[in-house]
Amino acid sequence: MTGRSGKEEKAYRPLKMQDFLQQVLFRHVLEGNAASEQGRLAWVTSGFPVEIPVAMGITPTYPEQYGAVVGSQKVGPTICGFAEELGYSQELCSYARSSIGSTSKPEESPLNGLPEPQALLACNNICGTVLRWHDAISQMIGAPVFLLDTPPVEGEQQPHHLTYVRTGIERLIEFLSKTFSVSLEEERLREVAANSSKAISLWTKSLEACKNKPSPLNCADRFTTMAPVVTMRGTEHIIEFYQALYDEVQERVSQGIGAIRDERIRLLWDNIPPWFSIFKFFNGLAKGGVVFPADTYTHAWSGSIEGEDLFKSAATIYSNVYLNKGLQAKVDKMVKLIKEYDLDGFVMFSVRSCKRYSLGQLVSKELVTEETGVPGVVIEGDMVDSRLFNDAQIQTRIDALLEMFE
Amino acid sequence: MPGRKLGIGLDVGSTTTKIVMVDSQGDMLGSHLVPTGASGAVAARRCLEELTKKSGVGTAGIPTTSTGYGRSLVDFAEKSVTEITCHSIGVHRLNPEIRLLIDVGGQDSKVIHIGENGRPTDFELNDKCSAGTGRFLEVMSRVLEVSIDELGPLALQSNSPCTISSTCTVFAESEVIGRIGAGESPKDIAAGVHAAMASKISTLSKRVGVTTPVCVTGGVALNPAFRHYLSKQIGAELWMPDSPQLTGALGAALLSLGL
Repeated sequence: MTGRSGKEEKAYRPLKMQDFLQQVLFRHVLEGNAASEQGRLAWVTSGFPVEIPVAMGITPTYPEQYGAVVGSQKVGPTICGFAEELGYSQELCSYARSSIGSTSKPEESPLNGLPEPQALLACNNICGTVLRWHDAISQMIGAPVFLLDTPPVEGEQQPHHLTYVRTGIERLIEFLSKTFSVSLEEERLREVAANSSKAISLWTKSLEACKNKPSPLNCADRFTTMAPVVTMRGTEHIIEFYQALYDEVQERVSQGIGAIRDERIRLLWDNIPPWFSIFKFFNGLAKGGVVFPADTYTHAWSGSIEGEDLFKSAATIYSNVYLNKGLQAKVDKMVKLIKEYDLDGFVMFSVRSCKRYSLGQLVSKELVTEETGVPGVVIEGDMVDSRLFNDAQIQTRIDALLEMFE
Repeated sequence: MPGRKLGIGLDVGSTTTKIVMVDSQGDMLGSHLVPTGASGAVAARRCLEELTKKSGVGTAGIPTTSTGYGRSLVDFAEKSVTEITCHSIGVHRLNPEIRLLIDVGGQDSKVIHIGENGRPTDFELNDKCSAGTGRFLEVMSRVLEVSIDELGPLALQSNSPCTISSTCTVFAESEVIGRIGAGESPKDIAAGVHAAMASKISTLSKRVGVTTPVCVTGGVALNPAFRHYLSKQIGAELWMPDSPQLTGALGAALLSLGL
């Protein structure tokens, strides 16, 4: 039930390290621009084994993250519209439309679009659209495309499957060597992998600290602070960033300070967030005492490349990402998070753009409720294209879920 | 009625605004409904005035709960609760046996599983599409040139319903126009329209799981052809309260009294 009494004090506590985040992201933009000018920039997908190009001196930048920027700046319909003017369907992923639209009209796009790359690296462990999307960009700007093919993993990964992906990684190294005239030193790859592991390990510790009550982080905190671990994995400077985040998280935990003022209901979030209203949405719920201590998305970056055979390790980790696994693995993950984080229910965001993430949500909703006994709700919309987001319909569904806890 | 504790519930729906007043036992003392029109706030005020006239009771100071899509527009309500919870509570009051509630209103349809305590335990709403709502029938009655009240009885005269696409109101309208052009009888087309709509809602019901006994509410529940085809498609008898449009407002009124 929604009470009518308004409170003056803010329900949501912003992180002190937001400024640090801005600095790190600004540095990423500058490095991307410089790398483009020096002929060593690659566009990569979010689940790409980026440690390999990074170890070879290639700077990655991320069209998906750019899509999130387009969404956050609330220009999704305009930039996606540029792609639709070229003939792309409104049904196409809004990250892909943001990327194609901004490549078509960079002067009218946030940050003047992403800097021009010398190669386009796609890994289909997150979806199949990435290949055709990078192909489309390749047609527009001429940079070559490399696809690392990671067939979906159902149950345990078979040895021949792993060998296939490992071979793909060897081909990737050949492709990068030829395209950028560089080579891979194993020692350097170990250093990059170690940096990546350190950052991921600190990130995971911050995520796990949300098992505490009150939770030190809410959904929007994690969705914004995950940016460096997605885009700058393998670099040394983000370790400092994740140490600072973990310090602040620990400080909150030790003082019993929550991400929101009055934590009453703890929910799981499934899928990418609506970037255009991320703060409005989660902070609005925070006013009613609703916090999201866990989500399936920011928990997707885990695992470290290590051991004798680094290529095999990379092949294993990057084949077994959340979106490359079957429905049962997704259900298991949600059930585990609900139990470990002691959550009261869950919200599944059915993202019109992201079929790979959203497919099967109706079934998994039933299964998760069956296994945990907690209720959930599916809301519909999009991560970037705000034309597909109906506030009133979403509010009614969420309110009805919250009323179940009374 | 001095000393008597009363509660008011207001359900501001997309098509109709409903008001119900209950006494401390939860029995309905009065009700009224008006078309929502352009302003939910105005419709809510009108309902309140009519209720005062009808009941002869001054409504000032009576606890009020609002529900429905326009629930936030009712500035004289102390609290607002979703129509999902309110319909559940209202139906539970009238028939505590009901486990599945199918409510079909002007612009949305919802299927709610009701727990033994009268609270919803699961629910599904139609997506961003009017094909499973009252609006679908309104559009079709206009095309068939009959009133909305005549549409159901007309459909029940048919022995061989046409096949109508259930995917989209706009395309189904073109399809109906095509059927009229092809010389199909209005009763068969009307029957096809109801079967199509029932199919959409039956799918939604099966998502939640059809647990008997099943109740149907909302303005569309008054349509006998809709009940006929829905009952057939979900394979269950349907129970309908005397005033199926008022259950949301009734639930809200009960909540005003904490019942």
